[in-house]
Amino acid sequence: MSASLRPVLEALTRQRGVRASLIVSESDGLVIDSSLRFGQDGERVAALAASVYRKARLSAQAARLGAVTFLQLDAERGRICVAGGAGNDLVIVTVADPAANVGLIRMELFKALERLA
Amino acid sequence: MKIAAVETWVEAPLRRFVDDARARLALLLHPTGQVLAQAGFTREVDVMSACALASAVHATAGELGRQVEGRAFAGLHYAGPAKQMYLAPLETSRGSYICLTVFGDETSLGLIRIYFEELGRDLAAAALTAAPPASPPALAGGFEAELHRNLSALFRPPKRWEGR
Repeated sequence: MSASLRPVLEALTRQRGVRASLIVSESDGLVIDSSLRFGQDGERVAALAASVYRKARLSAQAARLGAVTFLQLDAERGRICVAGGAGNDLVIVTVADPAANVGLIRMELFKALERLA
Repeated sequence: MKIAAVETWVEAPLRRFVDDARARLALLLHPTGQVLAQAGFTREVDVMSACALASAVHATAGELGRQVEGRAFAGLHYAGPAKQMYLAPLETSRGSYICLTVFGDETSLGLIRIYFEELGRDLAAAALTAAPPASPPALAGGFEAELHRNLSALFRPPKRWEGR
């Protein structure tokens, strides 16, 4: 699986302002595969992003809002986008600059998610 | 969560670890099985058996790792249906320790590993400034007496206010 997913991750990381993209197990918070620019701590981002996504998914479920497909976290020095809900335990995480185009990232994330389904 | 430590310098790092990682139980011990600190255990007998088992598992996994790839495994993870366990060594200037962490669905292995790394850094920093140990790790002959002394320290009843 890893070899076939590598182009998906690389396509995401090629987007302007994207620093890292990772495929992560939601339940474990462990990295399945990643494409990281220099200086990014993939394991830390993966664990924390998976944890946030999981909590969001459970919250949406408790509120009877259905599945969470996309999650965006804007912080002072960057933003994290997570897409999941492909019917498996995997989520795709990107770390981007605050000025990155979220629309494009979101589109690429959904394309990548289709490959994971 | 209640935390008790035989040596006070480990208490703050361990408290931070269990709080941040949302661990249910944590046990810090010498590789010989002597307990150093515990979080979440309520019975002395549980700590005693967990220490013995963790020490044995660490020794076994270490030897297995040496046979498989020439060096001891860095950590051991077991996932049960409701609870998971992470057992890994920590190095400080005062010596090597093992930490057994039990966690549930409220956290994940990834988070446990991240905060475990931080625990290692915190303990290494605390070890540099801590007072010298009251007694060196017990050798086989004095092991049992040392174990009971440490367990008594962990589960000693709280001091009561005697003034009126």
